[in-house]
Amino acid sequence: MSYVEIPLVRLLGAGFLILLSIALSYRGKLGLEKDLAIGALRAAVQLVAIGYVLVLLFDTQNPALVVLALSVMLTVASWTAARRVSHGPGWKVLMPRAALAIGVAFAVALLPVLAWIIPVRPMLQPRYAIPIGGMIMASGMNVVALTFERLLASAHQRANVIEQALALGASPPQAMHALNKQALRAAMSPTINALLTLGLVQLPGMMTGQILSGTSPLQAVRYQLVIMFQLVAVAAIAGALAAWLTQRTLFDDRGRLRRFAKAEKPNAIQKA
Amino acid sequence: MLRPRLRVASLRIDRSGRTLLDGLALEILPGETLSISGASGCGKSTLLRVIALLDRFDRGVIELDGVDAATMPYQTYRRRVSLVFQEPPMFEGTVADNVRWGPSLAGQTLSDREVANLLELMALDSSMASRDAERLSGGERQRVALARALANRPDVLLLDEPTSALDPESAQDVLLHIKALSAQGLSVIAVMHVPAHAELLGGRSLHLHAGKLHAESVAP
Repeated sequence: MSYVEIPLVRLLGAGFLILLSIALSYRGKLGLEKDLAIGALRAAVQLVAIGYVLVLLFDTQNPALVVLALSVMLTVASWTAARRVSHGPGWKVLMPRAALAIGVAFAVALLPVLAWIIPVRPMLQPRYAIPIGGMIMASGMNVVALTFERLLASAHQRANVIEQALALGASPPQAMHALNKQALRAAMSPTINALLTLGLVQLPGMMTGQILSGTSPLQAVRYQLVIMFQLVAVAAIAGALAAWLTQRTLFDDRGRLRRFAKAEKPNAIQKA
Repeated sequence: MLRPRLRVASLRIDRSGRTLLDGLALEILPGETLSISGASGCGKSTLLRVIALLDRFDRGVIELDGVDAATMPYQTYRRRVSLVFQEPPMFEGTVADNVRWGPSLAGQTLSDREVANLLELMALDSSMASRDAERLSGGERQRVALARALANRPDVLLLDEPTSALDPESAQDVLLHIKALSAQGLSVIAVMHVPAHAELLGGRSLHLHAGKLHAESVAP
């Protein structure tokens, strides 16, 4: 592979782009200078740290370390997906469900690809498993977060519609059908949009990276297509699982909508 | 002696550390009507929601035709004991879609004639069937909701202030239709705040006070 290396001095030179942005913010009195500086610094520290972690993983080539790294990524992804939710049972209940949804989707989307489509041996080679796994995990995280947020918010806002359906003899899945559909469509749409505009609006990051590091563009395209198909599968599986698991938290064993979904109403009645 | 269609015994409902209803008992025969009145916030609506198995209760038993509701599949029970909310939401789609909603869950499709009959029963013109349900007035919604509940052919109809959004003439129409259905065997429990409406519906009137039901009168 042939590519132009970036020495540290020149990397620091790239910092002028941030300085430029800070200067523009200062001049326009946008008040974003601190955020820009902290953001740039954090990004640099996080990426450099992960760079060293990757070097360690690549050097040791230990599958156990790869599994450990993927587990840490799964934990962070699940926590992030669970903590954004404003209505619902809280992150402690949602986090294990997020982990299950992302974890299953991750396994289904990654393992067959590493077994047959990009058949690297041993299978858990860090150079493949970590970057591809990271992309998949991030996609799963976004879809699960969107599904949780959308489904729990609509269950809260439309509790009366759900209970009306239950009162007419609907099962919880029947009562949630329309809301589930809306939530999943909303959660899937960024992935589908990315698929539709692939190569037209932007060259995706992985493909750009491969081309920059000397891979043939046609091979880079193939890799990118595999990744995109994986991301679609992850979105579909993680979204569907997250919706199913959310639904299970929304109803008790007698098909009654749980109170946390509309916590404000009973309190208001009690005070009256 | 007739067996009660619905029997509620020793019912206790606690909410947020407060006992809302305690030791409440209620029986209704097939074809009987029952009006419940009571001060605002005394638990009338909660009682209906509990009987419809939409809210939990803390003690007691609810029986339908002598069978403990806790042992029945809740979907079957809710088809037979149907609650119409005070401000019933409409599902997306037309009025006909809404009326067909309940039976469609069990894989049945009501014919246009059946939908029209149900609408006419609630003093609505059958031409309404094709209208967008979410654009109806409050009174129209309430009547469509009644038709939608009746489409399931329930044994017990639970009504939470069924006339609150209706003008006096429509209220009278709807109550007389419900009374006629009750004469055919439908048991009706209605929370009512207008005594004249309770009288029009006929049957027993009960007053909910301090967590228990008290007899008021027997109307012809």
